[in-house]
Amino acid sequence: MATTTIHPDQIYIDGLANNDSAIIQSIYKKFVPKVVHYIRNNSGDEDKAQDVIQEIMILLFNQAKAKKLQLTCPFDAYFFLLCKRKWLNEIKKSSNKGVTIDEDFPSSNEPTEEMVTETEVFDEKQKLFDLMFLKLGDKCQELLKLSFTIKSMEEVAEKLNVTYGYVRKKKSLCVGQLTQWIQETNRFKSLKIT
Amino acid sequence: MNEEHYILFGQYLENELSAEERTNFEKQLAEDQELASAFEIFKELNLHLEHKFGNITELNAFKKNLKSISKELFKTKKSKVVAFKPWQYAIAASVALLVGLFVFQNINPSYDDYNNTEMATFIERGDVNVNLKLAQDAFNAKNYKAAIPHFEAVLNSTKSPEIQYFYAVSLLEDNQFQKAETNLSELKSGTSIFKNKAIWYLALTKLKQKDYKSCKKILLTIPDDYEDYDQVQQLLNELD
Repeated sequence: MATTTIHPDQIYIDGLANNDSAIIQSIYKKFVPKVVHYIRNNSGDEDKAQDVIQEIMILLFNQAKAKKLQLTCPFDAYFFLLCKRKWLNEIKKSSNKGVTIDEDFPSSNEPTEEMVTETEVFDEKQKLFDLMFLKLGDKCQELLKLSFTIKSMEEVAEKLNVTYGYVRKKKSLCVGQLTQWIQETNRFKSLKIT
Repeated sequence: MNEEHYILFGQYLENELSAEERTNFEKQLAEDQELASAFEIFKELNLHLEHKFGNITELNAFKKNLKSISKELFKTKKSKVVAFKPWQYAIAASVALLVGLFVFQNINPSYDDYNNTEMATFIERGDVNVNLKLAQDAFNAKNYKAAIPHFEAVLNSTKSPEIQYFYAVSLLEDNQFQKAETNLSELKSGTSIFKNKAIWYLALTKLKQKDYKSCKKILLTIPDDYEDYDQVQQLLNELD
């Protein structure tokens, strides 16, 4: 990852991560109309377009914050393809009704496809991790929540009225439990997670 | 993996292992694929949870901001594209028709809508014709009355269709219709590039005097390859 050249459009990613209103507005002005147009022409309407766009923006925010999303292709194509694929997935999910899909768009080039796939994998992982987290017992959930919010293990121990050593150990075991479940899911789905 | 492994993962990430334990663990990772893949997931989960809980306030602020920007921009867009139902189109059309009837029954096209005079640019660098310079400046400042005597002075020494044309326009602006028409008619019967322009201005002379019939008659004599023919057409439509 270190040697790939970062596209100047990275400013949009950084702007999203910093919750920069001017950048968000310029994304809405420059890139959103095309998405709205596409969704409207493919069995959707403006409200649905708005939902898809917001979900993608939140996904980009998360990825940028968590992993330092590094853009190697133009934002325009990347953003459009993400929204388009998300919308197509959504109509696929809910469609027994006849749906017309306008597939006239030229397929985008490889770097864009790669970036989009990376973001989609990130999205799937996040969802899987969240799903597994909810399977944990209340004690584990509370301990993890506290130890990742507060950061000081002494404080967490105090709050939970247990020893520091216990919090340390328990934290590793709770994450370990998640690790185990995810490994099992990976084997089951043969989904490539890492 | 058993509990010991996960505790070891945690200790490694928190930098709680001795140098020896560290090297040992890293050696194990290199040899045991299963262990390595478990450790990768463990690491990633830590990052995920760190982000999930560590950035929760920022995420909520972002969502809020996003919603308000989206709402604002979509609202302004929506108000522009109000979808009309067919019967609404009918109403809108009849309203437009009524308005149109009112407007066009009572108001005739006016000279002021059409007298888009162009800039006069006679003078070139180094030119020393004082009158011409004064005429040009006055004309471009729309001070037509002042321009007229200067134009006359120039025309007395050298007569050119261009100067005559601008002179005629000034006369018309100054409501000296008779004189304007004489000059324009002269240009009309000539062969200069101002020929069609002169006919157009002859029509405008009639328009300014509210002689719509004559205006129309003259307009109809302008050939359709005239450079500003769309103006001719527009005026003809308004006169009908």
